[in-house]
Amino acid sequence: MKIVACYSNKGGVGKTAASVNLAYAFAGGGARVLLCDLDPQGAAGFYFRVKPSQKLENEAFFEDDRQVAKAIRGSDFENLDILPANLSFRDFDVFLSRMKNSRSRLKKALKAVGDDYDVVVLDCPPNLSTLSENVLKAADLIVVPVIPTTLSERTFEQLLDFVGGPDAKDTTARDRIVGFFSMVQRSKLLHADTMARMREAHPDRMLQAVLPFSTDVERMGVNRAPVLDFAPDRPSSQAYRQIHAELTDRLRTG
Amino acid sequence: MTRRDKTVLFLAGPPVDGASQGRLGGLDLVVTGTDAAASFVMLDDFGGTVRSAGQLLIETGDALILIDPDQGVITQPAARSGNFIADLQAGPVRDALHRVSPLRSLLRIGTGTISGRDLSLTDDEGKTRARARLMSLVPAGPGAALTVATLQGLRGYDDALVRLRDHLTAGAAPVAAPAQVLFPDKPPHVSKPAIPLAEDRSAWATATDIIAAHLDVARRNEAGIIADHDTEFLHHHRVALRKVRSVVSLFKGVYSDDQTQALKQATADLMAPTGRLRDLDVSLLARDDYFAMLPPSLHPGLDLMFAMFGTERRRAQRSMATRLTGARYDNAMSDLQALVDGPDGPRKGPLADRPFGPYARRLIRKRYRKVCRIARAIRDDTADDQVHALRIACKKLRYLIEFVAPLLPPGEIKPVLKPLKRLQDNLGLFNDYSVQQGALRDFMQAHEPIGHRQDLVLAQSIGALIAVLHDRQAEQRARITASFARFDSPDVRARFRTVFPKGASG
Repeated sequence: MKIVACYSNKGGVGKTAASVNLAYAFAGGGARVLLCDLDPQGAAGFYFRVKPSQKLENEAFFEDDRQVAKAIRGSDFENLDILPANLSFRDFDVFLSRMKNSRSRLKKALKAVGDDYDVVVLDCPPNLSTLSENVLKAADLIVVPVIPTTLSERTFEQLLDFVGGPDAKDTTARDRIVGFFSMVQRSKLLHADTMARMREAHPDRMLQAVLPFSTDVERMGVNRAPVLDFAPDRPSSQAYRQIHAELTDRLRTG
Repeated sequence: MTRRDKTVLFLAGPPVDGASQGRLGGLDLVVTGTDAAASFVMLDDFGGTVRSAGQLLIETGDALILIDPDQGVITQPAARSGNFIADLQAGPVRDALHRVSPLRSLLRIGTGTISGRDLSLTDDEGKTRARARLMSLVPAGPGAALTVATLQGLRGYDDALVRLRDHLTAGAAPVAAPAQVLFPDKPPHVSKPAIPLAEDRSAWATATDIIAAHLDVARRNEAGIIADHDTEFLHHHRVALRKVRSVVSLFKGVYSDDQTQALKQATADLMAPTGRLRDLDVSLLARDDYFAMLPPSLHPGLDLMFAMFGTERRRAQRSMATRLTGARYDNAMSDLQALVDGPDGPRKGPLADRPFGPYARRLIRKRYRKVCRIARAIRDDTADDQVHALRIACKKLRYLIEFVAPLLPPGEIKPVLKPLKRLQDNLGLFNDYSVQQGALRDFMQAHEPIGHRQDLVLAQSIGALIAVLHDRQAEQRARITASFARFDSPDVRARFRTVFPKGASG
């Protein structure tokens, strides 16, 4: 089982859209996939028309394997299951702070259901919290969507400093972070400059694929399905497919 | 959804329109797709291997579909180079058909019309909670239509699956034997007929029943030999006739001497013309084996030999087909059937009215003693004639045990037959290698010259083949004493005494 986290400490960068489409792409490639929605807003589940999990409340996520397994729902698509979130997920940090080994709890919880899956995709809430530390510890790849703006560039550097700095508890996480440019508007000079600068600063870390800004991604909320499903030939779908291909490659080469 | 076990239901009749749509306990049942009606062909081998496993194998358009009660509906491209399993493209259907013998051809069992429709049970968010695919099969013949429902549950929505299944089964009765419903006039062929036996029924009546059943088997295989679907038809035809002959010759005293003689002659006449074609079949089936025995430098000679076998086989098959469709063969068979089925039956011999059970057990005991007598005299330097005599004696013992097997509890026969079979395997290989060498020598002497150079190539390969076969025969010969020692163990001896006891009337 490989764990791929879609993560950013900044909100609104396209994490959920990326999780949903990447999970769909991994499943389409023949892998058995679980998309695990860690964001209490439950948007990933919403895109797949799956209702919030009702019984997976409070500490149960980290302490009760059977409840986690029971909360998993089959999506409408072959090979793809969803673990939907609910509002109690907003208190994950509180529960984690009470537990021993609080940074490896997520990995343990996922391992318990992981035998059924080849890939687990995590849709993570935007913050730097104990849950984030769990994500960083558990994931084989941490995929960070980056809008090529000054502010996003800054948050990306902050993330790298956080995981690689002197206080970092797990310096290997830095090597597992990959970024891709998200919501790119080719016409904007700022976007082009930022991308060029970041590619130079992080030549291996940034994926080649570029996700263009597109209303197709916004239409996911109306269609309640991945772009790859309802608009497979559009540029955003092509970009997600390329991101998937690059990630698959990185997972294979370790 | 991850792949979950699919449930297949066979339901009587075509799907009812109303059953595909509506509300089911707060969920919506909707048709999400339909396939236009198309023609289909149902395939199986002659013995019904696919049908006996509860499966249906269907070819429609360019798809080959296997419906398996446990594995669900499996599909692969239908394009194939022939009708044997090895001729199918590699794929999940071919994998799932592993029970079908590689020697058996797939035959067209029946045809009809197939149509499909996909159902989905969705909730108020438009989320699918369970799916079903309904395949309706309407046979062209006298059979009845049925629907194959493949239900697919989605993880976490077990209730919806149960609801959908209940809904579908409420409208139509389940079908236990789908192939029989579709094509009731095409039952699988049974090559080992179950003949009801009774301990105290007369030996004469029982023997006559066994003969009648095997004559029937021989006849049922005729069409397949004529059509040349596969080599098993001729093989089973010959086995059936051999069983008839065995009953006649082994059940001594059941029929009068002249009747026994006449029946022996009749079966010998029926079997004789089948020998050459069977020999050629066996040689051609051993093709891969022969190629593996020789280095590639000697393969050209084998190519020549097999090409000649192929030509001769085509001729032999044609003449066999002509013979089987001719009046002479039909009369001979019909006369034999009329004799055993007729009101008077074959003429009785002095032991005709003996009860079958004790009569047969006595024969088995005698034959067993004979096997042991011959075998115990065999040493490493004993002439091969004695080994052949042992093989024949074992074969007769085996037939006798199999004839009487229905009278015995199923668990008792196996411990006796198993060591006998092992000994027979050894003796059988010894004999096969000997027969093959003889056949190759005959072929060398009898074949039409094909040019000096080619004849030389052929002779080299055949010579080498004979040398390898000779070695193999010697290997088998060396094992016979040990094989018999295993068969002649105190345990097997004790079992023979208990399974075939000497009764008051035996």
